[in-house]
Amino acid sequence: MQNFQFHSASSLQDGLDYLAERAGGCKIIAGGTDLIPALRKADLSFSVTRQKSDQKSASGRSELCKIFAGGGDVIPMMPKDTHPDYVLNILEIEELRGVTETNDSVRIGPTTTFTEMMESEVLKRCLPLLVQAASSVGGPQIRNRGTIGGNIVSNAPCADVLPAVLALEGNLELHSKKSGIRILPVAEALEAPYKTSIAADEILTGILISKLSPGTRSGFEKLGRRNALTTARMSMSVVLKLEDDGTISDLRIVPGAVMPVAGRMTNAEEILLGKKPESPLIEDSATLMAESIFKITGIRWSTEYKKPVVQNIFKRLLKQLLQDN
Amino acid sequence: MSAEINKTILRMKINGNAVEVAVKPTWTLLRVLREELRLTGTKKGCEQGDCGACTVIMDGKAVNACLILALQAQSKEIETIEGLGTPEHLHPLQESFIENGAVQCGYCTSGMLMSGKALLKANSTPNVDEIKRAISGNLCRCTGYIKIINAIEKASK
Repeated sequence: MQNFQFHSASSLQDGLDYLAERAGGCKIIAGGTDLIPALRKADLSFSVTRQKSDQKSASGRSELCKIFAGGGDVIPMMPKDTHPDYVLNILEIEELRGVTETNDSVRIGPTTTFTEMMESEVLKRCLPLLVQAASSVGGPQIRNRGTIGGNIVSNAPCADVLPAVLALEGNLELHSKKSGIRILPVAEALEAPYKTSIAADEILTGILISKLSPGTRSGFEKLGRRNALTTARMSMSVVLKLEDDGTISDLRIVPGAVMPVAGRMTNAEEILLGKKPESPLIEDSATLMAESIFKITGIRWSTEYKKPVVQNIFKRLLKQLLQDN
Repeated sequence: MSAEINKTILRMKINGNAVEVAVKPTWTLLRVLREELRLTGTKKGCEQGDCGACTVIMDGKAVNACLILALQAQSKEIETIEGLGTPEHLHPLQESFIENGAVQCGYCTSGMLMSGKALLKANSTPNVDEIKRAISGNLCRCTGYIKIINAIEKASK
């Protein structure tokens, strides 16, 4: 890893002050399960990049960084800024951790680990979708370190918890020294793979989620190459509300790991909204969802496999939710 | 911003002993354990959290030492394989691994034992599924896992 200075924030204010002065060159670290491999991979390719740039100019490191950042295909999954001058540790900020609830909403601290999410009584009772998604991440060691905030702000296409947060219409509470607090829907924060609209001087201080209205059901399913410690090939988060007359009054479908940036499948949702979930409609919805996905990703070698599978996962999950009482 | 970065003093407790070591900000906990403190029982494998060979217990939880910046371990309590037993008095898990033939090449063993230890601390009578889940972050390319699972199950009894 290339050198950087390290600071462990003792409080949110300390963190915000540190960041405000160094925003451009500072990377925030929490669990580090994404950042550390990214910094290490960037380092492996650095010497190659340096040789090339030396032939052109004897410029300083910042230019090397720019050239390096252009080589996105050399390092798969490379976040944009992998050569920070400063790294700010936010894991010791007490107020950024844990799950709390009010009458109608749940607040999750960004450095709450996946293990803590799985053990949270509030989440088990109010938002079991998040418990399911968190328990599908990596292995125990990763779940003991990796955090919900990191899963969101990394915005990796293969993220497991992020699609569930989208299905729950989560909001991000962002803090900066300059602008104070702002609230941003998660869906609006996601710009491109590994990129969000969160400003360089902002710290994510909370994930805010409204409780689901009584009777609302939710489900999560993940498909990987193996059962444990696996990167999602595909996941599906669904939130559903069925009225007494059998019609669907709320439906949110978020497939994971099939698109560059996760998002709601509103076309597929609309087919079923206000209707009774009869088989032909479910088929139409699944077909439209697959079409919408492959319109975004284009046809690839894997499409022939993914197309039926994404439809079947959705249909199976929906069927399961319709049977739940 | 390169050579002039100074080392910082890292204080932590390792296997019950207070330790002080000067570290660079870029060093991982794994590097400090192996290279600075010469605790080489913790293995370096994939260095990206996929293999679990570097598993140690930090504040009671199994973690990958390769994914933790050393300075993030400031003031933490770390348990490594060196603290598990002594050659004269092996830990029951170590005894059980030997008795059940759960060690072949040995590279994954320290990580497996630390994951097993973290499990038994939280749940002294795990069932097979719970054992499988607890070692799901540790890869073994020799044993096929069955003997490791048996060894942990027998050690818990």
